[in-house]
Amino acid sequence: MAVFEIASFGAIVVLVVLGLGIIASMMGIFNFAQGEFVLLGAYVTYIVHTAGLPVWLGMIAAPFVVGALGFVLERLIVRRFYAAPIVAMLGTYALGLIIREIVRGLIGGLYLSVPEPVGGSVTIGGMHFSTWRLVIIVITALVMAGSYLLLARTAFGLRIRASLENPALARASGISTNAIYGATFAFGAALAGLAGALIVPVFTLFADLGIRFLIQGFVAVMVGGIGSFAGPVAGAGLIGTLSAALPWVISPVIADVAVFVLAIIFIKFRPQGLVAGKGV
Amino acid sequence: MTETTPLSAVSLTRGISASRQWRVLPMIEIAVLVIGLLLPLVLQDYLTVYATRVLILCLFALSFDLVWGHAGIMSFGQAVFFGSAGYGVALLARDLGITSMLLVLPAGVLIGFAFALLLGGFLLLGRHPASVIFVALGTLTGSYACDRLARGWYYLGGQNGIPSIPPMTIGSYELTEGPAYYYTAIGFLIVVYLLCRFLMRSQFGLALAGLRENEQRIAFFGYKVQHLKAIIFSLSGAIAGLAGSLYAFHEGFVWPNMLGVVISTQVVLYVLFGGSGTLIGAVIGTVVIEAVSFWLSNSYQDIWPIILGVLLLLVILFRPAGLVSLLLSERERVGSFGRPGKR
Repeated sequence: MAVFEIASFGAIVVLVVLGLGIIASMMGIFNFAQGEFVLLGAYVTYIVHTAGLPVWLGMIAAPFVVGALGFVLERLIVRRFYAAPIVAMLGTYALGLIIREIVRGLIGGLYLSVPEPVGGSVTIGGMHFSTWRLVIIVITALVMAGSYLLLARTAFGLRIRASLENPALARASGISTNAIYGATFAFGAALAGLAGALIVPVFTLFADLGIRFLIQGFVAVMVGGIGSFAGPVAGAGLIGTLSAALPWVISPVIADVAVFVLAIIFIKFRPQGLVAGKGV
Repeated sequence: MTETTPLSAVSLTRGISASRQWRVLPMIEIAVLVIGLLLPLVLQDYLTVYATRVLILCLFALSFDLVWGHAGIMSFGQAVFFGSAGYGVALLARDLGITSMLLVLPAGVLIGFAFALLLGGFLLLGRHPASVIFVALGTLTGSYACDRLARGWYYLGGQNGIPSIPPMTIGSYELTEGPAYYYTAIGFLIVVYLLCRFLMRSQFGLALAGLRENEQRIAFFGYKVQHLKAIIFSLSGAIAGLAGSLYAFHEGFVWPNMLGVVISTQVVLYVLFGGSGTLIGAVIGTVVIEAVSFWLSNSYQDIWPIILGVLLLLVILFRPAGLVSLLLSERERVGSFGRPGKR
């Protein structure tokens, strides 16, 4: 039972971090608005739900809506920051602040809940598992495999990797790095939107939903190692598992802090992360 | 903001005699000072209390400007030093009954300094030079961790913090909120401001500015880059500690938010908005943001954070040097270092 709880939470963190990791690895900027993209995904699902439509429809719509917004924001604002990673951090932080406060204004200070589209539980070997959490684990695995195939096996993925490794050469070879960056950012945002949509039945919807995942996500990306696909996923798996497993052993507050402190110490002594090197 | 102040500007300014030019910076500083000194005479009492809080936050903003604006260290955890000093003096007052200004303020400074030395020493020193992202993330995590720990620690009052701290005393005089506290705060602000200004215009400040512009080049000159960073980080922690202890006694209570991510990022907003690397920019940014926030808080409480976010984004996009750059020329903003006139 504990193992299942841990696995489902680990899957959630992987899902949240995947988008963040792709943007950080492929574009070299740390997107501080990523947590708010998660929040937006959750909010879109909630809107669709209150409109009387089925929840799963909202979950399908969320990645597209958030991805489209991510694309627009990249075109208008984020693209100006590529030369300066620190400014990018602050700029995306400001963006995140705006999104968060708008959502706060829309929902008030309330905690809203969205029902699971698939309720009930599955019984395997005499133990009950929440169906929805199983679905999250399966979707995470699918999304992960899909993203990997997209980056590693398709022509589009090849262009993305080319733009990452050597932007000047990529441009000289006729790849529009501008368009690639826009698409990558939108893809990362869409993943965050999907994550938000899937987790909103588990966590309730409130304006500060994203903040919690932001620090966790960054720590996971750094632990895993920036620059590769496997790095952030490995880091997210590790951080997610630890965050879910430690509260079973020690008090939740200490566990929460201990995970981050251990992670920072780890990064201090191994700055390249778990998975060193670039590429997929 | 690295790209806005090329190193060439720094070196060009040296030697060019500044006295012949009409200088804007001292005039701004004097204008701000005069307004600051006269303000309690025209303000109603409750506004003076608010203004005192803003002054203390200015002091806090100065500490961030030192690390980010002058040394290029991105600290998202200034609240750790602010809040830990606040908690420290609150505990001194609550458990030991010590409220004398001569004891509590040095204690606060020392706590801020010690915490900054620990955190900065860990993050900045060591075999691998720390990347900017790592420092930003490490300080942010530190702030989050302290917030969480304070919330969960019964001795520190948990979620509610420590209420009803007795007023600070000077001899037998009790310093309560109002004009007296206002002038105490502005006194500290002036002294700290002048110290920082002197420090930043010294050879040490020049080394720091070089660090901000091109760390590798400074390292090749033979400076111990990591030590410089740790020193300035600890100094800024001490200033944040002073601000934190003044804040704790002024408000009369401390609560976990004082350590947390919200205050840590708030101070970043102040400095970026006003203009980093000028000291006076930190003060102006804090005053403008807090004043507008106070003014809007009655009628537009809900949309104010959105406006703040939009303003911040606009400043970052179009005025990376902050509000101050509307008045100051680039050359004066970067400033000159050491003793002028000697070639």
